[in-house]
Amino acid sequence: MMKCDVVIIGAGPAGLTASIELALKGLQVVIVDENYRSGGRLLGQLYEDRRKKRVWAGKIIAKDLADKAKALSVKFLFDTSVWKIEDKKVFLSNEVVKVIEAKAILLATGAIEKALPIPGWQKVGVVTVGAAQTFTNLHNVKIGQNVIFVGIDPLSISVAIEMKHAGVNVKGLFLPPTTNLLNQKCNPKEVLESVASAAGMATNPIYRLGGKFVHGAYTKLLLHLLKYKQLKINGIPIYFRKAVTQINGRAEVQSVNVRSLKIDGEVTEVEKTLHVDTVCLSGGLLPLIDLSQLANCVIIDIPELGGFVPLHNEHLKTTVEGIYVAGNITGIEGAQVAMAQGKLAARSILREFNLSSENEISVAFNEIEKARILSPITFLPEIRKGRQIMRDKWEEYLKR
Amino acid sequence: MAKQKEIHFIFNGKEIKGIEGQPIAAALFNNGIRAIRQCEVTGEQRGVYCGIGHCFECRATVNGIPGIRTCLTLIEENMIVTSNLAGVQNDEV
Ligand SMILES: Cc1cc2nc3c(=O)[nH]c(=O)nc-3n(C[C@H](O)[C@H](O)[C@H](O)COP(=O)(O)OP(=O)(O)OC[C@H]3O[C@@H](n4cnc5c(N)ncnc54)[C@H](O)[C@@H]3O)c2cc1C
Ligand code: FES
Repeated sequence: MMKCDVVIIGAGPAGLTASIELALKGLQVVIVDENYRSGGRLLGQLYEDRRKKRVWAGKIIAKDLADKAKALSVKFLFDTSVWKIEDKKVFLSNEVVKVIEAKAILLATGAIEKALPIPGWQKVGVVTVGAAQTFTNLHNVKIGQNVIFVGIDPLSISVAIEMKHAGVNVKGLFLPPTTNLLNQKCNPKEVLESVASAAGMATNPIYRLGGKFVHGAYTKLLLHLLKYKQLKINGIPIYFRKAVTQINGRAEVQSVNVRSLKIDGEVTEVEKTLHVDTVCLSGGLLPLIDLSQLANCVIIDIPELGGFVPLHNEHLKTTVEGIYVAGNITGIEGAQVAMAQGKLAARSILREFNLSSENEISVAFNEIEKARILSPITFLPEIRKGRQIMRDKWEEYLKR
Repeated sequence: MAKQKEIHFIFNGKEIKGIEGQPIAAALFNNGIRAIRQCEVTGEQRGVYCGIGHCFECRATVNGIPGIRTCLTLIEENMIVTSNLAGVQNDEV
């Protein structure tokens, strides 16, 4: 059995940032990740804003963080999944190190993608939007020639733009059919409003949506117009009034069936075939909370944060002594917020070791909102409300 | 881009060229190969879906070890990758 002060699960932006903060104060830190390298979802992120000449290159940011952590003697265990947590012991799928015992545990497992099972989704050439992002930006691979996206949200819009930059013919973004009960977000009006408010909240240097979307009373009018006129972002058509109902092809994807949608989301009879070789599915993101469940943390459902999340205080401590959380496990936000949360969680942990002050904790806490304001991408329009609900639920929990 | 080391490996009997640091699935994509295996039940072909190790759709046998996820496994010189797609004719591609 290996022993250390803090074990961190997940080498994404949250876990890496936390490890540096902890190791700087002399703690022994081990990071476990099931991937073969560090960086998590940061690795696939690459945005260019040509006008402002600003680039967010996640691969480089991840490498800098990992180099810093290694220089501070943080120990990494890759290709290793954590499958159980019990009494401050973390159980691993590793052949050599099977258990780590730590004084504190940080869960920084990130998010997973929701499935979008439309007929034909198992075919070769159908990938998740996350796979599309990773292969395009990290592995520099063109996953297809003629590509469409199903699911219109900030992530699919952003990845579509990245793919177009990489020279792929992106034929458009479509909605999934309304009949798809697993996904409620296929009503044109709701989707348009949700994308518009996400666009309006973030500074969005990436896809400069400003002016493209109209809020409130105008959305209905805009939706009427969109029946005749296309909306384009960076030259990519966004079809708020069309759904992909079926993916065709004998071995690999060859085409999709597309049907028009009424404003309320009802699918019309007229069906067209569109020739494509690749379909990227974007069903939204969910916090990856399995380990917090196994560790007996109290879990609550806050849709504004993306779904079920471990209950935690504003300094990222869960209901189980010694277990902390940071990053997308607490709610779906961008990488900058994950890093700021990693720092805060680390300072909360350091407090247990008498190695940080109240002031340092409140400085780190305030940096989260700064990171949120600077984030180029906003996944959930009501994220701040979600965070407030979490604070209220924690108060209730303390009074129980 | 900086000079990258070429790596050669075998996929279902065919020699494939890739670049050091690439996962198997990425090297296959670059060589126009997207179908990695066949579903044991339906016989339908399967390839990368999640790209991050969650779905296991991209698995193959690597140097004799079955069930290896090709999206997470880096290519190595002379690596032998096989799947149950070996010998299956794909008349569409
Ligand atoms: C598909 C997708 C695309 C995204 N695109 C963007 C984007 O373009 N811009 C943006 O700002 N944000 C994006 N995000 C949000 C993203 O989650 C954050 O940017 C950020 O990466 C979250 O950091 P994190 O450290 O919480 O988690 P992650 O970066 O997801 O890292 C979590 C790590 O934990 C590891 N892990 C999980 N469970 C286990 C386990 N049981 N055992 C061992 N290791 C485990 C994973 O392998 C992973 O490396 C995206 C998220 C997803 C899912
Ligand atoms: S593509 Fe999902 S595990 Fe490899």
